[in-house]
Amino acid sequence: RYVRQLQRLQLLFSPTAADARGARQFVEEAALDFARRHPDVVLYISPCSGPAPLLRAEYLNGTVREELIASKTSEEIVQLATKLAGQSGLDIIRIRKPFHTDNPSIQGQWHPLTNKPSALTVQGPRLQPQ
Amino acid sequence: VAKTSLTSPPWPEVKLPDPVEEAKFHAEVVQKVNKMIAAGQYGRLFAVVHFASKQWKITSEDLIMMDNVLEAECGDRIRLEKVLLVGADDFTLIGRPLLGKDLVRVEATVIEKTESWPKINMRFWKRHKYQKKKIIVHPQTVLRINTIDIFPCLS
Repeated sequence: RYVRQLQRLQLLFSPTAADARGARQFVEEAALDFARRHPDVVLYISPCSGPAPLLRAEYLNGTVREELIASKTSEEIVQLATKLAGQSGLDIIRIRKPFHTDNPSIQGQWHPLTNKPSALTVQGPRLQPQ
Repeated sequence: VAKTSLTSPPWPEVKLPDPVEEAKFHAEVVQKVNKMIAAGQYGRLFAVVHFASKQWKITSEDLIMMDNVLEAECGDRIRLEKVLLVGADDFTLIGRPLLGKDLVRVEATVIEKTESWPKINMRFWKRHKYQKKKIIVHPQTVLRINTIDIFPCLS
């Protein structure tokens, strides 16, 4: 029961730019393998005359992450794509706790009065009948 | 011999029960707990698991994050061994130091493999014209604990 958080990967590059060589090689060689290995990710390849080659990743919670792939080899682009495929759409900021539970205490949360005898059963100088 | 303030130790003297009676009592308690487990009368279970050089207190359906890379892909089901403690509402099973694998079963799934936020590593000495700056990004994995199961095979 695992749902991948990556929705789509859009690869925008221009066929004539010099720094999109790695992107073109990736599209020729490794894009099919990548798509077969991750069958639940949609891969859009659109050649456009934009300023720089981009790899845009959209996640299920709506966040869009854009990464430049200018002057990168196709293996680096494959590694980047696998890394993006493994991420979820949460912001990459400092996380305060490395764990998260919905039910933190099962046997009851400790408070200073647990494991102490109650005042009614303790024999004191005042409670003894005289 | 006369009794002074130092003849007996200041703590109250505790008499240990008979070893035979104690063994009987222990066997009774173990049988009771076994019956309870077999009948399924426990509610939520929590466990203390040693994983990635840290000890975590986990229940079912909770998230855990490690600062390392696991060799499993996203979506793989993993069984966590090295369980130190298992507890429910009425009873707890304490291991010395580990519990047996045929007693407890903890399953988790790898949800996410991301990188941490970019941490800044900077060194600076004043009046010595020395400063270095390095940005460190290390990989992280997020696991979700699916189930914790116990089986009635105590002894």
